[in-house]
Amino acid sequence: MPKILRHFLKLVGVAAIVAWSLVPIGLIAMSSFKADRDIFSTTGALSFSPTLANYQALWSRWGDFFFGLWNSFLVTLGATVLAVGVSLLAGFAYSRFASRGLQASAFFLIFIRLIPPIVITLPLFPVVNWLGLNDTHVVLIVLYATFFVSLGTVVMRTFIDQIPRELDEAAMMDGASQMQIIAKVILPMAAQGMLAVSVFVIVYAWNEFLFAFIFTTTKAKTAPLVISEMIGAVEGVEWGVLFAASTVQLVPVLAFVILMQKHLVAGLTAGAVKG
Amino acid sequence: MSARTPLSAIALVSPVQLMIGGIIFLPAIYVFWLSLNQSSFGQAASYVGFANYAKVLGDAYFWKALLNTVIVVAVVVHVELLLGLGMALFFASGVPFRPLLLAIVLAPYAVSEVSAVVMWRFLFEPDVGMMSRLLTSLGLPPIEWAVNPSHGLAMVSLLSIWLHLPFSFIILYAARLSIPGDLYEAAAIDGASPWTSFRRVTLPLLMPALLIAALFRYIFAFRLFSEVWLMTGGGPARSTEVMAVYLYLEAFRYNAFGPAAATGWLLVLASLLLALFYLRGLYREMFARA
Repeated sequence: MPKILRHFLKLVGVAAIVAWSLVPIGLIAMSSFKADRDIFSTTGALSFSPTLANYQALWSRWGDFFFGLWNSFLVTLGATVLAVGVSLLAGFAYSRFASRGLQASAFFLIFIRLIPPIVITLPLFPVVNWLGLNDTHVVLIVLYATFFVSLGTVVMRTFIDQIPRELDEAAMMDGASQMQIIAKVILPMAAQGMLAVSVFVIVYAWNEFLFAFIFTTTKAKTAPLVISEMIGAVEGVEWGVLFAASTVQLVPVLAFVILMQKHLVAGLTAGAVKG
Repeated sequence: MSARTPLSAIALVSPVQLMIGGIIFLPAIYVFWLSLNQSSFGQAASYVGFANYAKVLGDAYFWKALLNTVIVVAVVVHVELLLGLGMALFFASGVPFRPLLLAIVLAPYAVSEVSAVVMWRFLFEPDVGMMSRLLTSLGLPPIEWAVNPSHGLAMVSLLSIWLHLPFSFIILYAARLSIPGDLYEAAAIDGASPWTSFRRVTLPLLMPALLIAALFRYIFAFRLFSEVWLMTGGGPARSTEVMAVYLYLEAFRYNAFGPAAATGWLLVLASLLLALFYLRGLYREMFARA
């Protein structure tokens, strides 16, 4: 194939990839700055006078949304700390100890990922009500963390496997306890793995819909749930305001994923290869 | 391998094990018990054997939902793997601004299902959406996702592929990068065409990663809920329901906990069946290694 043609085909490929990934995102981000009359107009597709009217309307009429963002933030923070913490402990145990019981429990860890989340909402719904935990942050934090601890543990074990055992043995000689070894030796060296796990949990908890839909109504309602209410609002969809809300919800997590790209890729490969 | 587990190891794994055992495993077992009983909110359960299963299996909406799920899963997973493979090979052949392009490819991973529905509904909004206009100007019929069930499912599939392509791509790209370059040099010296070296070198060595990605995506695509719920709500006239939507409606709209539990247990069985070979291989490997 002549070189020119190859370069041309490569450019077409790059353009197709960029369009596929970015047109849907870019379109709503751009349209969130458009006045209603420009949103569906062909002449105003790219040349329009930007306005903050949609964001003002979002602020004044959908206070719920910002409350939802705050809830999403709290739930994401809680779920991430919980999931990363317990995954670190378990990942250390699976990396450093071996026994028949541990092998069986490691198998159980992977096996459990086959159970679809919606199935367990049936028994959990009455239990959560009975415990008075319906519509609280706690229930979402625990659920989100639980659905990521098995992947988290596998990823942590893969990363901790790469830390030389001699380091823990040296610390043990110096009289350090198990928890001290984890805190002083493992934790600083496993930071990469912890970041990888937190990327998964943060993206999942920030965006999750099903559990939030079933277990929260008002007090702990998360941002995706408020956006879904905006889609279904009776007076018809107010596209501009909806775009503003989607953009505000998306920007922090998108920036985070791009910043953490390396860790996301490392975590995905560690998690998928081993289990 | 020692037969006994040190106490400190038990203490370290117990938080994780208690969480998955108490919040996923025990409730799943309880769902099986529920599926053998007739119950609803605030009502004592009574044992009915497999009547709930009979009821579900005799419900035309269940079969419709199952068929929809199988079609959507088959389309989504296979198209996704094909696109992911193509993109992985494209990246491996050298692309300009690689880090930037990689970030762009990963971007949909950060998008919530809710926002993705907003984006794609806007693109395909009848008459005025950008894609609808494009289709019209090309002389093609519009996508009537709100009224035509197969168009609705096509939209759901498109949305799913868009959201999950980054996952399949990363798995395949990482696997492609781990193939040593010498193999391609050796193939080139032997006079292999690009197609031959793809068939004889790339494909066999990517097979494990392809199978893993396929397995994960089958299992996760089978749970599909939000995209359908937010795009079509299962309508019109319950024609675009998938398994998870059917289960949700049975449980939380029609208060039929028994049939919902039976559906749930069938979902679990389907997942186990899909993963059977993988689990068996993994089980052997784990106990051989330790």
